[in-house]
Amino acid sequence: MKVWTLALNTLESFLHNRLVLLLLLVGAGIVLIMMAPLLQVKARITVQNTSMVESMVLEAISQVMGFMSGLGSLLAAWAATDSLGSELKAGTVLAVMARPVKRWEFLLGKYLGVLLMMAGYVVMMVGVSHVLAWMGGQHIQVSPLAMFAYPLARYAIYAAIAMLCATVAGPVVSMVVVLAIAILGDMVLPSTPAWKPWLMWLKHGLYYALPSMELLSEERFLSLRQATLHPMKWQEQAVSVLYGWDYALVVLLVAMWSFHYRTLRRD
Amino acid sequence: MTAAAIEFQQVTKVYRKMFRGVEVPALTSASFAVERGEVCAFLGPNGAGKTTSISLLMGFFYADFGEIRVLGYPPGDVRAKAQIGFLPENFAFYKFLNGERLLRFHDALGGGDKRTAGARIAELLAKVKLTDYRKLKFAKYSRGMVQRVGLAQALLRDPQLLVLDEPTSGLDPTGRRDVREIISALKTEGRTIFLSSHLLSEVEQVCDRVIIISKGRVVQTGRMKDLLGDSGRVEILVTALPESLAARLTEWGGSFTGNEHGVAVVVDQAHKREVAEGVWAAGHDVVQIAPIRGSLEEFYLKTVGDESGVA
Repeated sequence: MKVWTLALNTLESFLHNRLVLLLLLVGAGIVLIMMAPLLQVKARITVQNTSMVESMVLEAISQVMGFMSGLGSLLAAWAATDSLGSELKAGTVLAVMARPVKRWEFLLGKYLGVLLMMAGYVVMMVGVSHVLAWMGGQHIQVSPLAMFAYPLARYAIYAAIAMLCATVAGPVVSMVVVLAIAILGDMVLPSTPAWKPWLMWLKHGLYYALPSMELLSEERFLSLRQATLHPMKWQEQAVSVLYGWDYALVVLLVAMWSFHYRTLRRD
Repeated sequence: MTAAAIEFQQVTKVYRKMFRGVEVPALTSASFAVERGEVCAFLGPNGAGKTTSISLLMGFFYADFGEIRVLGYPPGDVRAKAQIGFLPENFAFYKFLNGERLLRFHDALGGGDKRTAGARIAELLAKVKLTDYRKLKFAKYSRGMVQRVGLAQALLRDPQLLVLDEPTSGLDPTGRRDVREIISALKTEGRTIFLSSHLLSEVEQVCDRVIIISKGRVVQTGRMKDLLGDSGRVEILVTALPESLAARLTEWGGSFTGNEHGVAVVVDQAHKREVAEGVWAAGHDVVQIAPIRGSLEEFYLKTVGDESGVA
């Protein structure tokens, strides 16, 4: 109950946060701008160029969705950082923690607040994907549940990492660390160029230690042309999503441990 | 036997600056106790360790050494926190909430029943005189109004122990008087109040016990009446003062001032009988003899001044 109260308060604080609203407005604006060429290409379709136009349409849709997905990652990390950082900066944490609330409950409440917001974002993202596909004359045949679960698991990881960083560092440093982890995570994928031989152990180590967003990417199963590029059983999908939630949970537990020993004061 | 409301035993807290190896002692072997039902003033100059002590007892900081018990529990224990009302210095708030919603939020965190919260909150808002502003957004609150809401949230959930860090900060004289009255009422109800303030005249009016801290050390602790009770001088109010006695008063280091009711004589306790008998012998009357109580401000300045080597 206390955790839920904290989560709803956190969500409400985001809804009143001008920066979040600005980010969403800018995102919506960019999506609208990106839709213009999509609609233009779609309008030029003829019998002769159907195949080419379809491929251009799909490319445009893919880019819009990629942008929204990236924006979501940024939003998740920033929201998690800010949810804790702003409490410490303003000093509101002191009055809250004077209540019979355990530190882990406080952090969990903040985290759930972030996830609630991101769940709303993902619902919006799935909606936009379907609208774009419809406008492009395509149909997404993948279960909406899978389209919801994958990005949310990804955002859960980013939020947990950001929250862990925020327990020991300021918002800017936390965001830099999250971005560095995201970039490094991409650099150590097996598909990337090999590192120098004497650094390969590091690459392998980082590959397993850092969160694998490749595993949690909708691109693994999502196809706008067909139901799936690589047909996946629901068990496989469940394992992938569970991997994401498990990773997020472990990081969140470390964040709770770190926050437990943190000095609480107005920063 | 019931445990003391607050117990500090040899508590030490050192701030360490990361990467610099600098250690700043904030509290050194601090020991004191506040009994249940007492109103205790926690005094000291800026940087003396007051906020550190309060943060330690609220469980915001961890002590490096020593033991702290709050209502019989370790600091930060939810069983203790359920019985504590806390007003931090410069109470901070969620700007998107109004006074009533902030209290509802804190009430829910305290485990309050949603169905009965409305009546409790309305009562508290009336107590701090904010009923008319309960729907006003915090962003539009004045400093004094914020402090009043802060006090109201501290009073939520019927706390047994109130920890108030500068409760009258930002309040006008009327607001300060209101807070004093609230504290007095709580004292009558048997609540324990631990109060940090720089307004010594107000502290003197409501507190039973004083703890003075300076440079991280407890330099004085005791009951107010014991600490301030005896200045060694008395004030004797007489209808008139014979000239012979006036001359001798100077020799004794005494003084006198006349007013429409007579003459007020201030003299050491040792000479009070001689003054009274001299007045009676001259055919005048003694209206009142009262010991002069030292003020908390004098006592505080003397104590802290001594400690810092200033006075």
